[in-house]
Amino acid sequence: MTYSSHLGEVVATRMPEDQSGVRVLRRHHLLVRCTHWLNVPILLGLILSGISIYWASPVYKHQPDPQTGNVDPLADVGIWVCAHVPGLHQYSSPADWIYNHISLGPGMLAVALRLHWVCAYLFMLNGLVFVTGMVMGGGWRSLLPRQTDLRDALKMFRYYLGVPLAIVTGRIWLPPRFNTKYNALQRVAYFSVPIAGLLSVFTGWAIHKPMQLYWLTWIFGGYDKARVWHFWLVWLFILFVVPHVMLVLADGWDTLRSMIVGWSTRTERSEGS
Amino acid sequence: MNLEDKTSAEEADKTFSTEPVSSRKPASFFQERPPQEIEVAPQLLRRWTRRDLLLFGAGAVAAVAAGGALLPQATLKRLGIIHENKNWPRKEWLLNKSLRIDDDVAEALYSSNRLVPTYTRSQITSLRNNYNGATPDPSYIPEWRLTLDGLASGLSVYLNIRNLLASFQVHEQITRLVCVEGWSAIAGWAGLRFDDLLRAHPPMSQAKWVRLESSVNLGPWGNPDPYYVSLDLATAHHAQTLLATHLNGKPLTVEHGAPLRLVAPVKLGLKNIKAITRISYTNDEPADYWAKRGYSRYDGI
Repeated sequence: MTYSSHLGEVVATRMPEDQSGVRVLRRHHLLVRCTHWLNVPILLGLILSGISIYWASPVYKHQPDPQTGNVDPLADVGIWVCAHVPGLHQYSSPADWIYNHISLGPGMLAVALRLHWVCAYLFMLNGLVFVTGMVMGGGWRSLLPRQTDLRDALKMFRYYLGVPLAIVTGRIWLPPRFNTKYNALQRVAYFSVPIAGLLSVFTGWAIHKPMQLYWLTWIFGGYDKARVWHFWLVWLFILFVVPHVMLVLADGWDTLRSMIVGWSTRTERSEGS
Repeated sequence: MNLEDKTSAEEADKTFSTEPVSSRKPASFFQERPPQEIEVAPQLLRRWTRRDLLLFGAGAVAAVAAGGALLPQATLKRLGIIHENKNWPRKEWLLNKSLRIDDDVAEALYSSNRLVPTYTRSQITSLRNNYNGATPDPSYIPEWRLTLDGLASGLSVYLNIRNLLASFQVHEQITRLVCVEGWSAIAGWAGLRFDDLLRAHPPMSQAKWVRLESSVNLGPWGNPDPYYVSLDLATAHHAQTLLATHLNGKPLTVEHGAPLRLVAPVKLGLKNIKAITRISYTNDEPADYWAKRGYSRYDGI
């Protein structure tokens, strides 16, 4: 029993509908919308300060460079950029270039830590409100994985890959049909990201309090490994955000607006289009 | 006719009507529910949209303003947003407040009964001297003595290293030292328990804090740069808080704080002060070298 059939019945009984009314679907609970957008400044603050903290003691190191004495591969990227990008040859501290562009800057550990704590507490609070909104609006059910998700996610992925080619060749390229709130690929992403957020919080506590919460540190393989987890989870967020923003913009104003106003005028999708 | 009447009655009753919920029960508690479809008058929908977009815009402006107010001056200057220091007066207050909250959380997590993990000899790693000031001349060691202040007796006590090693039992432990920068090292320490010293020379009854001073007191160019830390008395009483004399079976070198240093594995490395010269018990929280430089004060891990 899909609700496309259920909705079909409902629409049939209400055929002579009032012309003045606009049919909209409730899509996102108010608390979900608020926390979704609050994540933008909070995560930005966490990442910028986090990379400044990383600078103080990089996880990944190589043998000191004979010329610069540098051990940090991220700093190497900055040195390479300054050496090869026109206009940057005069850059005063090439080793700092990358940290000057993806963090608060080098040599700001105390400031970065304070900002990281402000944002981390806000992030945890925001997460709790998000879960509350998910429960109150019942939205959590739309995020749960299904048995068919893997196959459907691959189909969806193939569709996205084919879109640019279809535009170039002018071919008709229809998306796979689905009658759920999200397609399987979205579901995988929207289900994993809150879990990644939770893991970020846990790995964060594991490296913040490795003595009092030593069991938590132990779960992640010890203090040094927990740092590595915490570091790579950041890149998972970034990996999610880039296609997320691109696809929302590609999908159109209705999808973006629905995360602000909460409703969507796309009632046809549920009817199996 | 009948249906139209019903619709208009509903319109009069409330501004929108909600579709009836499916009469069929969902297959399971976890199954996705049908989307809720509502019918809204176009003017109302326009009003909602306008309201929500305006609120969103206001929120975005507020977020940019908050970000600009909280980001460090150096970052904003580099981005070309500001050209001279413009410090918002409440900024420090807000950031310090959050630091205090984090310190309070750390203090709440602390338990005097909870021991930190210990390691085996084979797990010991190299321990670096992270002090970027000048290493003091070892000539202070022969005349070194420890001064105790703020005692219940009201007197000052002076102890040399022979007194200390003769009157207290030596304990050994292999624990992890965690630096605020993010690196850590496993090291084997030997020394007396701070708790034993507290028993032998009890502090005044109202004392809640310890101030520790060091003879590591030179900056990178040999300029005076005294190092001192604050420590809460509860941490000093912890069974694994040592006044260490030996590192990995050998007497402490000057780089690692000869002849006596603090080893408090429940605290960040920066509290593990080297070459202690004076221990003072106080009622009020004493100043701390790194807290003055924007780091937290409690530093419990």
